Amino acid sequence: MAAPEIPNLKSLLAQRRGGLRGRGRGPRAPISHETSEAAKDEAVKGTDQDAAGSRVSCVELGYLDDPYAKVFATQQTVRRLPLLNRERRSCRSLGTYVRTTGLDQLILQFLTTAPGSPKQIISLGAGTDTRYFRLLSAYPSLDLTYHEIDFPCNTSSKIAAIQRSPAILSLLSHPPTISTDGTSLSTPTYHITALDLRTLASPTPPPLPNLNPSTPTLLLSECCLVYLPPTTASAILTTLSTHHLSPTTPCALVLYEPVRPHDAFGRTMVSNLKSRNIHLHTLATYPDLASQITRLKTAGFDAGQGGVDTGFVWREWVSEAEKERVGALEMLDEFEELGLLLGHYCVCWGWRDRGGEEPDLVFSDAWRGVKAQVGGTTGEGA
Amino acid sequence: MSIGGSDLDQAIRQLRACRPIPESQVKELCYKARELLIEEGNVVGVDAPVTICGDIHGQFHDLMELFRVGGDVPDTNYLFMGDFVDRGFYSLESFLLLLCLKVRYPDRITLIRGNHESRQITTVYGFYDECLRKYGSANVWRYCCEVFDYLALGALVSGAATTLEPSDAPFADLNSQASMPGLDQDIEIETLNASGEVMFRFARNSEQSSSAAPSQNTSSSPLPTPARTGAPGTGASSSSSGSTGSSTGAVLCVHGGLSPLIDTIDKIRLLDRKQEVPHEGAMCDLLWSDPDEIDGWGLSPRGAGFLFGADIVKCFNYKNDLSLIARAHQLVMEGFKEMFDSTIVTVWSAPNYCYRCGNVAAILELGEDGGNGGFVSRSNGDVNRTQVLGEKVQGREGPGRRYRVFDAAPQDSRGMPAKKPVADYFL
Repeated sequence: MAAPEIPNLKSLLAQRRGGLRGRGRGPRAPISHETSEAAKDEAVKGTDQDAAGSRVSCVELGYLDDPYAKVFATQQTVRRLPLLNRERRSCRSLGTYVRTTGLDQLILQFLTTAPGSPKQIISLGAGTDTRYFRLLSAYPSLDLTYHEIDFPCNTSSKIAAIQRSPAILSLLSHPPTISTDGTSLSTPTYHITALDLRTLASPTPPPLPNLNPSTPTLLLSECCLVYLPPTTASAILTTLSTHHLSPTTPCALVLYEPVRPHDAFGRTMVSNLKSRNIHLHTLATYPDLASQITRLKTAGFDAGQGGVDTGFVWREWVSEAEKERVGALEMLDEFEELGLLLGHYCVCWGWRDRGGEEPDLVFSDAWRGVKAQVGGTTGEGA
Repeated sequence: MSIGGSDLDQAIRQLRACRPIPESQVKELCYKARELLIEEGNVVGVDAPVTICGDIHGQFHDLMELFRVGGDVPDTNYLFMGDFVDRGFYSLESFLLLLCLKVRYPDRITLIRGNHESRQITTVYGFYDECLRKYGSANVWRYCCEVFDYLALGALVSGAATTLEPSDAPFADLNSQASMPGLDQDIEIETLNASGEVMFRFARNSEQSSSAAPSQNTSSSPLPTPARTGAPGTGASSSSSGSTGSSTGAVLCVHGGLSPLIDTIDKIRLLDRKQEVPHEGAMCDLLWSDPDEIDGWGLSPRGAGFLFGADIVKCFNYKNDLSLIARAHQLVMEGFKEMFDSTIVTVWSAPNYCYRCGNVAAILELGEDGGNGGFVSRSNGDVNRTQVLGEKVQGREGPGRRYRVFDAAPQDSRGMPAKKPVADYFL
């Protein structure tokens, strides 16, 4: 476990000497605060810093190549006692590696299919994610417009970090335009929009600036929609795919979410997260790959669907050479635990094509051959 | 400061409350422990009855739960198969308590080495950091590591009974009672929950013992299993391997498993163990290897030790007159897992491992063979029979096995320090 989490017995003993009097004295938050919606929102927003911290250590240990990860890690995520940086958590790094690699593969297959034609990605609850910068630096000639949507507090800290980073500023094609309150950012191809996603579920959703309604679009939810009630999550997808985008525009959804909440590990995961005030709302509705596939079909991504758990990504999507490279990075004594962990996250994807006189089968072309645990295509030759 | 007599009892009391003892006492304790351990062979002889435990990993409150479920020292004779430290929050208190008990009751507790009892692994997986945090220096970690070097590599349990004396306990689920063998039968396996209620009971040679045991591996083995026709209640068998009355072969306990460099227990005895766990070689393999559904030997994904199949286990057991190998090292969700026709068992004693795996834990009780006063003639190490591949290997009848399964200690029993464990998830 992380050393900072080990209770310092001496300091606890000292506190104890203060006795019960000391305990009762401080200002105590009312209990209702714990369960209030605001507290839950805070907990969800906080998950982004978890991810940022994992990303940084994953990069430091050589699992991922991401020069931009550090830009967005706050003091808190990188704070370590001087002698504790030997603390390594292979499980954590491998989990982050597999998740990132799996999503990257699907996204790259989309972006490199018909490379000359324009494409869009909308990343929901993007937080400190660095994917756009990694893509831009590796594939500068892509005709890609990238949208990130998140809570204003998350977007503003991300935008502030971008402004402090010469590496990112020089990477962007144009100097960014930043809103006066510092919560939104725009270049011709990169847009950070401050928005509580839940407003997209309302009957009168706000517009998404700079979105082209007819460009093939990949919607990415990297552990985002799972925090919302299932009806809200569905409504958001409907709004994006049929209101903001023209219903005939090729569109896909890629999900990364926890899965299998009903076995012993899953039950423990749900209850541990609940104690951190994190509620995985859609998990009960979509507890396995098959239900995710049905969800994707129902949401209109009817041309094809696929689902894998991240254990499958590691076994089947990561090349042997890459497995060897990653396996050599650290001594890993946690194989059973790793297997459990990887079996409890999934990557699922589904898409719709444009038929008719001017067909656009970009997603079918990109993903037809992807090896899935569950799923298939409804098109011919599937 | 000396740590004999009352000081030791005081230290035990303090550690039982999950409070570390002063550095000077740790130094003295480790010195005493080393003096004791240096006298032990690489393979410690242990007489049944004994309670065999797997990984603890610094989960102090769960260790207390283990003692609650299995009985306290010195009332119960314990054998811990290593991995006392790392991963959990209280490696220090857990290991020091076990060490105090070892010094206080040397004949009632046996500690053998796990792969985490190593300088290199503890710097990566938490024990080093914990010592540094709790004492402000690495001295205590260093003292403990010196003790690690003296821990035995294995234990050989002799005198275990083939038949269990069935627990006089209620059934956890009354509906399942009807499907269980009657008390007049020869009970081979019994599983009890933490309240001491019977969850499963299996008679030797019964169909049930393969179909009803959830964690038993019933994969077919390349070697034939001898048919046993022992009369109910006697434990006698048709085996021609010399098993008589209620005696059973010995049980080898080791943290990880077997090594391609070790074909007899005497070869373990010849190792020079008083060193850091090497990266390769027999000593490393004993602490790192895993059984697997393969033929022969395989490469381990852990990067140390090997994988070994049913054929390896059966030959080793036959050659060394063993009825069972008990090992730890691998998380099993049900707390224990028998493999290869019950020739090897994994025992895992850290419930809800790392505060997130949701598994239960188990300990394995082997009863005492009352029939011949606990004396069993064995011929370990000097077996001259040559093993021809494909020759029918006649296994020894396994000991009666009582598994006690338990959950993580309830949160409210954790008392101080009541820090909420934070488990990592990929959100």
